[in-house]
Amino acid sequence: MERAGGGGASYQRFPRVRIRELRDDFAKFELRDTDASMANALRRVMIAEVPTVAIDLVEIEVNSSVLNDEFIAHRLGLIPLTSAAAMSMRFSRDCDACDGDGSCEYCSVEFHLAARATDSDQTLEVTSNDLRSTDPKVCPVDQARAYQHALGGSEPFDTAAAADQRQLPFLTFPFPFHEGILIVKLRRGQELRLRAIARKGIGKDHAKWSPAATVTFMYEPEIRINEELMETLTLDEKRNLVESSPTKVFNIDPNTQQVVVEDAEAYTYDDEVIKKADAMGKPGLIEINAKEDSFIFTVETTGAITAYELIMNAITVFRQKLDAVRLQDDDGDLGELGAHLVGG
Amino acid sequence: MAAGKGPSASKADQYAALRELYRPHIDSFDYFVDEGLDRMLLSIRPLEIAKGHLLPPKRDGRVDVPLYPQECRQARTSYHGEFKVDAFIQCNDGPSIRQTFNFGHLPIMLMSKLCHLRGADSEKLIFHGEEATEMGGYFICGGMERLVRILILQKRNYPMGLIRGSFVNRGAGYTDKAVIIRCVQDDQSSVTVKLYYLQNGSARVGFWLGGREFLLPVGIVLKALIDTSDREIFTSLTCCYSDHYERGKGIVSTQLIGERAQIILDEVRDLSLFTRTECLLHLGKYFRSVMEGFDKDDFETVAEAVLKDYIFVHLQNNHDKFNLLIFMLQKLYALVDQTASPDNADALQYQEALLPGHLITIFLKDRLQDWLRKSKPQEVRKILSKTSTYVGKAIESMIKVGKVNSQSGLDLPQRDGMTIQAERLNFHRISSFYNSEGAIKDFNQIKKSLIAHLVGAGMAQLLPRIERTGPPEVLHVHLDGCIVGSIASPKIEEVVNHLRSLKLLPHSGIPEDLEVGYVPLSLGGAYPGLYLFTNPARFLRPVKSLLGLSDGGPSIELIGPFEQAFMEIQCPDGGDGGRNKLFPATHEEIHPTAILSVVANLTPWSDHNQSPRNMYQCQMAKQTMGFCAQALKFRTDVKAFHLQTPQTPIVRTATYSKYCMDEFPSGTNAIVAVLSYTGYDMEDAMILNKSAVDRGMFRGHIYQTECIDLSAKSRDNVMEFFCKSNLSRETTTAIESDGLPRIGEKIFPNELYYSVCNNLTGSVRPIKLKGSEPAAIDYVAVNGTNFKDRLQKANIRLRRVRNPIIGDKFSSRHGQKGVCSQLWPDIDMPFSANTGMRPDLIINPHAFPSRMTIAMLLESIAAKAGSLKGKFIDATPFASSVKKTDENSCTSDSIVNEIGPMLASYGFNYHGTEVMYSGVFGTELTFEIFIGPVYYQRLRHMVSDKFQVRNTGRIDQITRQPIGGRKFGGGIRFGEMERDALLAHGASYLLHDRLHSCSDYHIADVCSICGSLLTATVIKSDNQKAKRDMLGLPTIKPPKNFACQACKTSKGMETVAMPYVFRYLAAELAAMNIKMELRLSNRAELPTSEES
Repeated sequence: MERAGGGGASYQRFPRVRIRELRDDFAKFELRDTDASMANALRRVMIAEVPTVAIDLVEIEVNSSVLNDEFIAHRLGLIPLTSAAAMSMRFSRDCDACDGDGSCEYCSVEFHLAARATDSDQTLEVTSNDLRSTDPKVCPVDQARAYQHALGGSEPFDTAAAADQRQLPFLTFPFPFHEGILIVKLRRGQELRLRAIARKGIGKDHAKWSPAATVTFMYEPEIRINEELMETLTLDEKRNLVESSPTKVFNIDPNTQQVVVEDAEAYTYDDEVIKKADAMGKPGLIEINAKEDSFIFTVETTGAITAYELIMNAITVFRQKLDAVRLQDDDGDLGELGAHLVGG
Repeated sequence: MAAGKGPSASKADQYAALRELYRPHIDSFDYFVDEGLDRMLLSIRPLEIAKGHLLPPKRDGRVDVPLYPQECRQARTSYHGEFKVDAFIQCNDGPSIRQTFNFGHLPIMLMSKLCHLRGADSEKLIFHGEEATEMGGYFICGGMERLVRILILQKRNYPMGLIRGSFVNRGAGYTDKAVIIRCVQDDQSSVTVKLYYLQNGSARVGFWLGGREFLLPVGIVLKALIDTSDREIFTSLTCCYSDHYERGKGIVSTQLIGERAQIILDEVRDLSLFTRTECLLHLGKYFRSVMEGFDKDDFETVAEAVLKDYIFVHLQNNHDKFNLLIFMLQKLYALVDQTASPDNADALQYQEALLPGHLITIFLKDRLQDWLRKSKPQEVRKILSKTSTYVGKAIESMIKVGKVNSQSGLDLPQRDGMTIQAERLNFHRISSFYNSEGAIKDFNQIKKSLIAHLVGAGMAQLLPRIERTGPPEVLHVHLDGCIVGSIASPKIEEVVNHLRSLKLLPHSGIPEDLEVGYVPLSLGGAYPGLYLFTNPARFLRPVKSLLGLSDGGPSIELIGPFEQAFMEIQCPDGGDGGRNKLFPATHEEIHPTAILSVVANLTPWSDHNQSPRNMYQCQMAKQTMGFCAQALKFRTDVKAFHLQTPQTPIVRTATYSKYCMDEFPSGTNAIVAVLSYTGYDMEDAMILNKSAVDRGMFRGHIYQTECIDLSAKSRDNVMEFFCKSNLSRETTTAIESDGLPRIGEKIFPNELYYSVCNNLTGSVRPIKLKGSEPAAIDYVAVNGTNFKDRLQKANIRLRRVRNPIIGDKFSSRHGQKGVCSQLWPDIDMPFSANTGMRPDLIINPHAFPSRMTIAMLLESIAAKAGSLKGKFIDATPFASSVKKTDENSCTSDSIVNEIGPMLASYGFNYHGTEVMYSGVFGTELTFEIFIGPVYYQRLRHMVSDKFQVRNTGRIDQITRQPIGGRKFGGGIRFGEMERDALLAHGASYLLHDRLHSCSDYHIADVCSICGSLLTATVIKSDNQKAKRDMLGLPTIKPPKNFACQACKTSKGMETVAMPYVFRYLAAELAAMNIKMELRLSNRAELPTSEES
C-alpha cells in the first residue's frame, strides 16, 4: 500500500516476547519494547475476542430435576469445551452452509445428554461427563483430560504442584478433576434428557465463550536501593523496612546483612516500602519506577484452549483487527495511526 | 462443589432456635385445643356441661384420611378440622337435653397438636411437600397462608392510673383521671373496668355492656359486693393515711382521703341504700332489661350476675373484689393528689400480647353466644333445627380477612387487621412476622397453688392477712390482680430477693417465669406494691442473674417488662451504664445484641454503622429477592421471587448460624470496588460486570401461580371446563389436548396458554398471556374432577426469567442501596495487577462519607481476609466490648488491626486496597482502589415491573387525551408543575409538543363569522369527487366541504389546531346554554384569500 510520506516519524518498534513459564492452562511471559496500549489490547483480546466453543442452544426433552430449564441451560453453557478447532470454525451467524439450526459441521457441534436416576437411594450426579458429543474434537474439558490421562499421558496440570510453586495453599482442590463438572443431582425417578448445540463465539458476547480465566499484566518494576543511605540503617531498621512490604520483595542477605532485592516482580506498586522509608526519615532510600515498555503477563485459561493457543490465537485475532483497520477506506483519517501501520 | 458435611446427628436441635421464634403461636393454639376450648364452653351460660371436640383435618367425604397442608395450598382450600360440641342444655325449666352440635370446621394451625405434621422430622416434612425447616404457626385459609398478628394489649389484671382528656366527656363533673383495670377470665375473655374520679371527690365504676358504658357510683358497688358497714369502708379507704407521716417517701395518700370517703358514703346514703340487699335490688332493677337471659329472674340474681360477669371478672370471691376496688380507689386518689405518678399506657411495662389461641378462644365464645342468642334457647326445637355450621365459618373468615365481626368488640383495641398473609419472600420477611413483638412466653398453666408455696417458703408471718394500713408502712402483695396480703416495707426487699432465688431453683414450686414486679417506695413515683404475675401472654426475656452465684456461675432468669423497669440490669458493654454505686447491678444481659431483633442481628458489625443505616437494612432485608423456598416445586404462592445462585456470606454474625440462615440465603458475595469509574456510578448507581452477570450473578426468577377455578366463576350459570378446540389444527400453541399448557413451554405475551370450553354453546375460548414479558410454564396442577369428569380447577405456575438489567435494585447489608446503571464489559473494568481480578460491581466512593457505614468497609476487608484464609469471619456486633472481660485478647483494639495483618500475610495491602489498572487504557490508576467481597442482596424492585414507556396508544374516549396507568399502556402525567418547569426554561416548543402534539391534538373547523366551534357541518358535495374517481382522474384537493350551520355558508370556515378537550368544553358549555365564541385574528380578512 502506497502512502504519501506524511513526514510523521516512524514509531515502529519490534516487541519481544520471552516465555518464562508455559503449562497447559497457565503461562507467564514478558512483553518488551512496546507500550501499554499494545499490552492492554492483547489482554483485552485474550479475554474477550479469542473464540471458543460453548453450548449455546439447549433443547430440553425431559426435565424433572429440581432445577428449572433455564438454570440447566445456563449451567451447560458455562461448561468449558475443548476449542482447539474454534479458530477454524465458522460463526453460526456467518455460516452459509446452514441456517443456524446447528445441523452443520462448520459452525456447530451437537451434544446429547440423557440421565435417569433409577438407583434406589443414591442421588445421581449428572456431570459434564454425561454429555455425549457428536464431534470428538469438541467435548467437555474434563472428559478430554480424563481421556488423555487414561492414555497414559502425564497429568497435564498437577494442581498440587502448581499450588506449591505459587505458594497458594488454598488452591489445592479436594477432588480429582476428572469427576466432571456437576450439572444437576437427580433423585430416584427424576430424569434429564436434552439436546444441546455448541457454537463458536467470543467472550464479548457472553462470558461463557471467554477462554481466559485471568489475564493480567504488570509493568516490570525497576528497584534502586540507595546503598549509601541504606548503610546508615541498623539491622533492626533494615528488617523493619523489609517487612513493611506485604509481598516478599526485599530480603536481607544473611552474610553481608545488606538489603537485597529478592523478587522485584513481587512488588505490587503499593508504595509501602517507600512510605516506610519516608517514615524512617530516609526519603530516597529506595526508588521504584515502572518500566514503561516492559510487561509481565500472567495468563490462565479455563481449559478450553491451552495457554499457548490462547496467546497465539489472540495475536492472530489482534492482527486481523489491525488488518481490518488498515484495509478500511483510505479516506478514513487514520492520522498518526497510519504511520504506525505503514511500518507494520 | 464444597465438600458437603454429612447430615449431622443433631439435626433436630439445629432448628431449635428457629423453632423458638414460632413457639408462642403454636403453644397458644395448643392451649386453645387442650384447655381453652373447654373452659370457654363452660363459661357460656345456658350450656350446662359441655365438651368440645376439635378433630384433626380430614379429607372431605372420606373417613380417617388425613388432609395435609400441602393439599390445602394446592387446592386453595382450608386446613381445618371438624368442630363439635357435646352439651347439656336446659331450657324453660324443662329437663336438660344432651345434644351434639356440629359447628362446622375450625382452622387448624400448622404444627399445632392437631396438625398431622406435628413433630415430624425433616424427611417426613419433605415427603409431605413442605420445607425441611417448616415451623408452622400459621393457618391455611383458601390456600392462603394467614398469620395472626400479635397485638399489644393493656397488661391484664393490673390497675393502671391514667390521665386522659377523653375521660372528661363521660359526663358532667368527670375529670381526666381514672384507674383502669383489664380483667381477664380463665377463658381469656376480658372486661375492662374503669374507675373515674369526679370533681366532687367521689368516683364512678364504669364498664361496657351491650354497646354502652354503664357508670355506677363506687359506693353502691362496694356495698353490693359484700355485707359491710360504712365504717369498714371508711377505715379501709383511709388506712393508707396516717398523720404520723407527712409528705414523705412512699406516701400515697393525703388528709383529703377521709373527706372523699365521706362523700362516697354520702352518695349511697342519699339514694337511701343502706344494706347489701338494697344495693343489689337497686342494681338489679337497673340492669334487668340490659342483661340477656335474665328476664324472669329476680333483681338480686341479676345484680349478682352483673357483679360476677362485669366487675373484676378475674376474681371469683367478692371479698377479693372489694379489696381490689378499695385499692383502686386509693390509687386513684394518689393519682389525683399527685403522690403517685400516672402510668404510661404506651410503655411496654404495662402491655401484654394477644396470642392467636386466645384470640380464637374469645372470638369463638362470642360467636357461640351469638348463635345461642339467635336460636332463642327458650325453644328447644329451634336450637336443634337451627344450622350451626356458620360458627366455624365465622372463625375461618376472621382468619382469612382479619376482621373481627362482633357487636361487643371483644374488648380489643382494633377490629380489623388481626391477621396478615405470611409472605414467603425470604426468610427475613417471614421471621419478622413472628418476631414482631419479641419472644412471648405462653405460659398456660396458671398455678393456683402459688400462695401455698409462698407461705411454705418461710414467710407465713408476713403474708396471711391484709394489714389495715398502707405505704410506707406495708406494701400490698398482688398476685395476678388479687390482693393476697401485705408485707412490711422494711422486709420487702428480702422477700423479693428470696422469691428471685426461688425462681432460679428447679423444683421450688415457684414458676420460673414468675414476674416479681416490685415497685419500691418513692416520692411521687409509681404506686408502690409487690405485683406478682403468673398469667399467660406476658412478654419474657432471659437475663443472667448475678444473685445466684453461690452454686457456681450465673444462672438464667426470665424477666418481664413490668419488673425490669425496677431492676438493675447491667449490659456487658464494658461500661457501667452510668449506674449509681448505691444500686449495684443484680442482673446482667446475656449479650448486648439482646436489644436487636432477628433481622437486625444479621447486619454484620452493626455497631459500626450510623444507626439509620441499620434501620434501612432491616427494611431492605425484607424486600430481598432471596432463596425463597426449597420446596418451591410444591408451592403455589401467587408470586415468589427466587434467586438462582445465592451464596452464604463470608462475613456473618452469630445469629446467622443460630437461625440456620443458610437454608434460605439471600445474596451473593460480590467483589466490590469502590471507585468513580466511567461516571455511570454517580448518585448511588452501580456498575455491574457483564461477564459476572453472564456467569450467573444475581440471576433470578419470578414464579407466579394462577389458580383458575371455572366452577366458581361460571358465567350465567353455564358450566365451563378446560378443553382444547377441535377446530384449530395449530401445532404452535402450548395448549395440550386437555386445554392446559404443556410444562416447560415458553409463552410470549398475547400467546394462548389455556383454553376454556363453554358447556352450553360448545364454543372454545382461549386465554392469552397477559403482561409484556415471556413466561415458561413451570408447573400445572389439576384439582379434582367435579363436573362430569371434566377439569374445572387448575393451578398454572408461570416462571419468568429476571436476569439483572439496567434499572434493577441491589443493596449491601448496610442500608446502601443502588440501581444498576450499566452492565459494563469485563474487559473495560479496572483490573488488579497482581491477581488479575476484575470487580463484579463498582460503587462510588461518595456513598460513604455522609452515610458513615463503616461496617461495610470492614466487611469488605474482613471478607477478603476470610476468603484468602478459607474461613468465615464472625461479625457479631458489640463483640469487642464483650471480649474485654476475657482480658487475654487485648492485642487488637480494632477490627482493622485484627484483619489487617491477616491480609498482609497473604501479600495484600493492610487496609484492603489494591493497585489497579484501567481496563480501557491499561495504565495504572493514580490511587489504590478499595476492593473486596461484600455480601450484596438483590431487591425485588425490578424495572421490568415498573417501566412505563409510551409513544402513542390508548386514549381516553371523552377527552382524547392519553390514559394513565402502567397496566393499560398509559403514559406518565405531564402535570402542572412540569409545565411550570418548561415555562421557566422557555422551552415552548417542547411544551407544545408535550401538551398538545403528543396529547389530544385536534384540528377543528371554526366559523370565523359567528365564532362558533360547534356549528361546522359537512356539505354533501361528494359528487364531483365521485365523478373524478369514475374517470380515473387524480383526485385534486377537495374543496372546503364544511359549512357553518348557523351562518349557512362555508365562507367563514377556518381550521384551527387546538386541544380536543377545548372542543369538549365548548360542547359542555353549549349544553348549559352558554355560547363560546372564538374571535380569530384573521376574521376581518375575506375568507376568499384562504387556501385550504
